[in-house]
Amino acid sequence: MRDPRLVAAPSTDAPTASVTFEYLAWATVWLLTGTTIGLIASIKLHWPEFLPFAWLSFGRVRPAHTNLVLFGWSSLVLVGVSLYVVSRTSRAPLWSPRLTRIALWLWNLALFGGLVTLLTGVNRGPQEYREWVWPLAVILAAAVVMAGYVAYRTVAARTLPEVYVSNWYILGGFCYLPILYVTSYLPFYQTGLGNTVVQGYYMHNAMGMWFTQLALGVSYYAIPLLLGRPVYSYALGVLGFWTNLLFYPLIGAHHFIFSPTAWWLQSTAILFSVGMMVPVWAGTGNLLLTFKGSSGAVRRSYALPFFVTGLIGYGLSSTQGTIEAFRSANIYWHFTNFTVGHSHATMYGFIAFIAWGAVYGLVPRLTGREPNPLAVGVHFWLALVGVLTYVISISVAGVLQGFAWVSGQSFIASVIAAEPMWLWRTIGGLLMVGSHVVFAVNVWAMRPQRVVAPAPSPDVVRIPA
Amino acid sequence: MSFGGLHTDHRAIVAVAAIVFFVLTLVMAVLPAVREQAFSTPTGARPRGHEEERGRRVYLREGCGFCHTQFVRDLPMDRPFGRPSRPGDYTLEDPPMLGTQRTGPDLADVGSRQPSEAWHLIHLYDPRAVVPQSVMPAYRWFFAEKDQAGPGDVVVPVPAGRAPRGKVIVAGPDAIEMVRYLLSLKQPKASP
Repeated sequence: MRDPRLVAAPSTDAPTASVTFEYLAWATVWLLTGTTIGLIASIKLHWPEFLPFAWLSFGRVRPAHTNLVLFGWSSLVLVGVSLYVVSRTSRAPLWSPRLTRIALWLWNLALFGGLVTLLTGVNRGPQEYREWVWPLAVILAAAVVMAGYVAYRTVAARTLPEVYVSNWYILGGFCYLPILYVTSYLPFYQTGLGNTVVQGYYMHNAMGMWFTQLALGVSYYAIPLLLGRPVYSYALGVLGFWTNLLFYPLIGAHHFIFSPTAWWLQSTAILFSVGMMVPVWAGTGNLLLTFKGSSGAVRRSYALPFFVTGLIGYGLSSTQGTIEAFRSANIYWHFTNFTVGHSHATMYGFIAFIAWGAVYGLVPRLTGREPNPLAVGVHFWLALVGVLTYVISISVAGVLQGFAWVSGQSFIASVIAAEPMWLWRTIGGLLMVGSHVVFAVNVWAMRPQRVVAPAPSPDVVRIPA
Repeated sequence: MSFGGLHTDHRAIVAVAAIVFFVLTLVMAVLPAVREQAFSTPTGARPRGHEEERGRRVYLREGCGFCHTQFVRDLPMDRPFGRPSRPGDYTLEDPPMLGTQRTGPDLADVGSRQPSEAWHLIHLYDPRAVVPQSVMPAYRWFFAEKDQAGPGDVVVPVPAGRAPRGKVIVAGPDAIEMVRYLLSLKQPKASP
């Protein structure tokens, strides 16, 4: 348990390898699509006449961007890697590669339908991350349940007694998302402010009870594996799992502070936003301490720098989220672009970097092919400089907007103040999209091979495609 | 190390996690939502007319709510937008559009603040014709360019130089309905 000897884990079977890779490949397709659309949205804020077509107008590309990067890129890459982690830590082949593949195609169908409907203006209004009409939501929910069932049956078929902590997080995420998704789409309690209460709950938990779960689950496997040593504290990992479950669902209402929703709900949310520091720093600290004394390994590896960046991103951006929840800070930051900076610090600075670390760290073991280390370095620096440029500029824009409002100037003063920062945000976004093109090239370089090839390291087995 | 036997029982881990999350979902989302709905009485807003409702659908289709809130907070900086929003303001709204971003101004009371139909039509056709620094999209697809107006056409008084030379700009149904909806956004006087 404390030393899962993951390095010596037995071989992954060929069907597990190929279906996992298919998830990653499709995730990359949606990453390129979703972030290109995000870039278009960004350009429109400082060049409003850019691409003046109805189906590319800001109000349509904005939800198309968020839904593609959340449910396309971030979900598919983490599900793909998670299923591989579940299989390896259970020392069992994936329970049903066929069902896993069906889930992937349903997922892609929902994403494609979502893209087309949102760009043509078919939506449920500005209800963030649940803009898709319900038939698409049903398809996505079915796909999540199928993939989750595969993970569950694979863990059930494990050949060792313990359930490794990665699988707690991963199975947890697969339980929470369907519950969350169904309750947020059921209409019975959602007219008037009832809808707003559910909206705050949904959009918040969709992050911490899904993406965070899978990202941490993957990290608890991949980081000890790549460092060749056990995780710093197994118990802290379990503590993080339970405290996240108890605190995170209490804080969704902090998205509607000063709103006419129940005051106790807002106050509870602020209080437990502070409580979230326990699981956040338990997770960040635990995983970063696992690196203690391994700076050489980080320098030699092309995957580990992504994990270090992602973990620092997790700790810092979550702390930022706690501060934003305070009423005194919320006065200046709410409704401003500061929130957009926070969501990119978390979904990109944390989730995407962990996902990339996992892809670069695990896929060569899966397919027996490595990417060009120089190209991985280019990806890393483009993405890091890009997201720093993005988050800093858009956060400054948010602060300027907030100050303009508080000082009582006419509204347009906040637009004028933010506009130079919107240009910088586009420059950051360009670097980010550029890094994704390099990433796509690297994924292609790691594709499963058709013939048996020599393994690049002793623990990698030879896998025919 | 033992965690109550859970660490060897995948069924127990999944069951406990799912039940805890389900209960928290009921307590923090579903039940408060039911309560908001049950105790909310409308602040006297009249039901929307046919055109206003169609306009609301255009507003939803174009994603206006991603940049415009309809949510006035009880804070000094929100005073220009109207009185603080009350639960009853949203009772008839499905979905309510409080919003999370204010890239453009709040619209909860825009029908009172800017009651001119002509201003709204020009603004939708070319926002920068009336607010030079605006970054709002121009909703050209709501309008038709014609050589001359026909009977019954609503001609938009676009300032000189902001429309193609020799053409008149005629508001289509989307534009007219959208403006009807915007003008209907008036905060009813809240009873104390």
